[in-house]
Amino acid sequence: MTTDVVIRATDLAKTYRTPFRRKKVEALRGVSFEVRKGEVFGFLGPNGAGKTTTIRCLMSLCAITGGSASILGQPVPSRAARQRLGFLPEQPYFYDYLTVNELLDLGGRLFGIAAAERRRRADTLIERVGLGNARGQSLKKFSKGMLQRAGLAMALINDPDLVVLDEPMSGLDPVGRKEVRDLILELRDAGKTVFFSSHILSDVEQISDRVAIVVGGKIEDVGRPRDLVGRAPLGTEVVLAIVDDADGAKDATAAIAARAEKVRATPGELLAVIGPGADVDDFLVFAHRHGAKIISVMPRYETLEDLFLRRVAASHRGSAPEAVPP
Amino acid sequence: MMGRLWAIGLNTFREAARIRVLYGILMLVIGVNLLAIVLGEMSIHEQARVARDAGLAGISLFGSLTAIFLGVFLLYSEVQRRTIYAIVTKPIARWEFVVGKYLGMVLVLSVLVALFSAAMLALLTWQGVALSSAIGKAVVLAWCEVLTVAAIAVFFSAFSSPFLSGIFALALFAIGRVTPDLRAAASTADASWIRTVSSATLEIVPDLHLFAISGRSVDGVAASVHGDYVSWGYVAAAAGHGLFWIAALLVLACVIFQRRDFV
Repeated sequence: MTTDVVIRATDLAKTYRTPFRRKKVEALRGVSFEVRKGEVFGFLGPNGAGKTTTIRCLMSLCAITGGSASILGQPVPSRAARQRLGFLPEQPYFYDYLTVNELLDLGGRLFGIAAAERRRRADTLIERVGLGNARGQSLKKFSKGMLQRAGLAMALINDPDLVVLDEPMSGLDPVGRKEVRDLILELRDAGKTVFFSSHILSDVEQISDRVAIVVGGKIEDVGRPRDLVGRAPLGTEVVLAIVDDADGAKDATAAIAARAEKVRATPGELLAVIGPGADVDDFLVFAHRHGAKIISVMPRYETLEDLFLRRVAASHRGSAPEAVPP
Repeated sequence: MMGRLWAIGLNTFREAARIRVLYGILMLVIGVNLLAIVLGEMSIHEQARVARDAGLAGISLFGSLTAIFLGVFLLYSEVQRRTIYAIVTKPIARWEFVVGKYLGMVLVLSVLVALFSAAMLALLTWQGVALSSAIGKAVVLAWCEVLTVAAIAVFFSAFSSPFLSGIFALALFAIGRVTPDLRAAASTADASWIRTVSSATLEIVPDLHLFAISGRSVDGVAASVHGDYVSWGYVAAAAGHGLFWIAALLVLACVIFQRRDFV
């Protein structure tokens, strides 16, 4: 076991049983991955894939029914490991009668942090997550985004080595999402390890050093985003301006569309997608001859979203996973 | 460990202090004491006895009902509202969480019993009833009973819904109050199955009858708040019985809670 592995899941399995009928629901079916020290690790998957169940198992909220897991070198469940980790649950629920100061004080007490240090950390974190103006308000008056920020502050009260965030961007507006992304990158720069789940693929792609894709309770892919997606171009996207002449434009669009794999016309413009084997130069000359002006030419590679959708589609073609308890 | 228990307990106290029903119950207890004065006036030469009995019954009954209400609600709601996610993922053992919640309830119930008792003592004084150490002993016993009932409710709450937990806890409270009748049934009932069931029930139910000392005989010895029949030794023995049941029920609750999945 290498010492720089912060989270290790080996054939992790979780089977729920319904209380009376004893029906089995397999939420995780052999999940294996490793998260290394200092990296931002994105955990991707569609709804019901097992992301939250995996996190709940790692956080000792659920008992593991198969396989094993370790966090910070300690087998799960471990109080010693929890001393060094911060956790933000999905859609965090807190005691709504507390203020954010009191919430962080409670968190600090549970970590055994001395009173003066608790106050200092709470003040710093409240400012850091942008809740300085809401210190005196009870959490009951907080918006969803504000609660998410309070949860992030709570997750950082112990200055953790590992931060586990379950859907941290969920419910946030674009500004809030960017702030969370920036915070995650700040944490990485400070030497922390961040493990987060999300189904907002663009966010994951932007900030993750490595990702795992879980579908139907199984890991489908693990690796750096650029290594997971194919390197061969999927085609070329050409944006053309069509001269604004009613009949000519129609003819030009029809002619160009016949040579493209796919087209989408908007007033005055045409987006044409040429297949990977087609001659781009030849296509551009052809379009130019038909009076089109070339605005942009962009080779298109597979994205994380393409890969993700491919995996989900393949899973749906195979045996459909059973629904996971919410 | 003490810091974590205190943090959970204090938070539980804060949460319970926001429950408005408790203030309603407090007003109800004051009302019962006022009613006791009226009933006392209607009796002949028994004003003091009626006032004391009604006051202590108010503490015992409403204290126990409050204990059941808090016990079945406070632990369950942590799981239901998922506030527990942010707590048990900290370096805290689950048993510390259960015990911390119970200690928070002890704090709330102690304050309530103190307020109930203060109301009763104020009204007894106003009525001119002589106060004796027997009333203090009776209050301590009622407090022990309330804390035992709270442990019963917490135990059921560790694995059941508030409705079922409330039903089970009320049933145990009621059975625990009639242990002399059960004991009689266990030894004198004609049907053998009644003797068996009564004997078995006596083994698995805390003897809450020990905590009620209004003119009763316990094991052939007079125990009454209306005279100096109750010794501090008796109070200590009854408290020990309560403590045993509290410890046993909390251990069971912790074992069950330890095995729960929070989904």
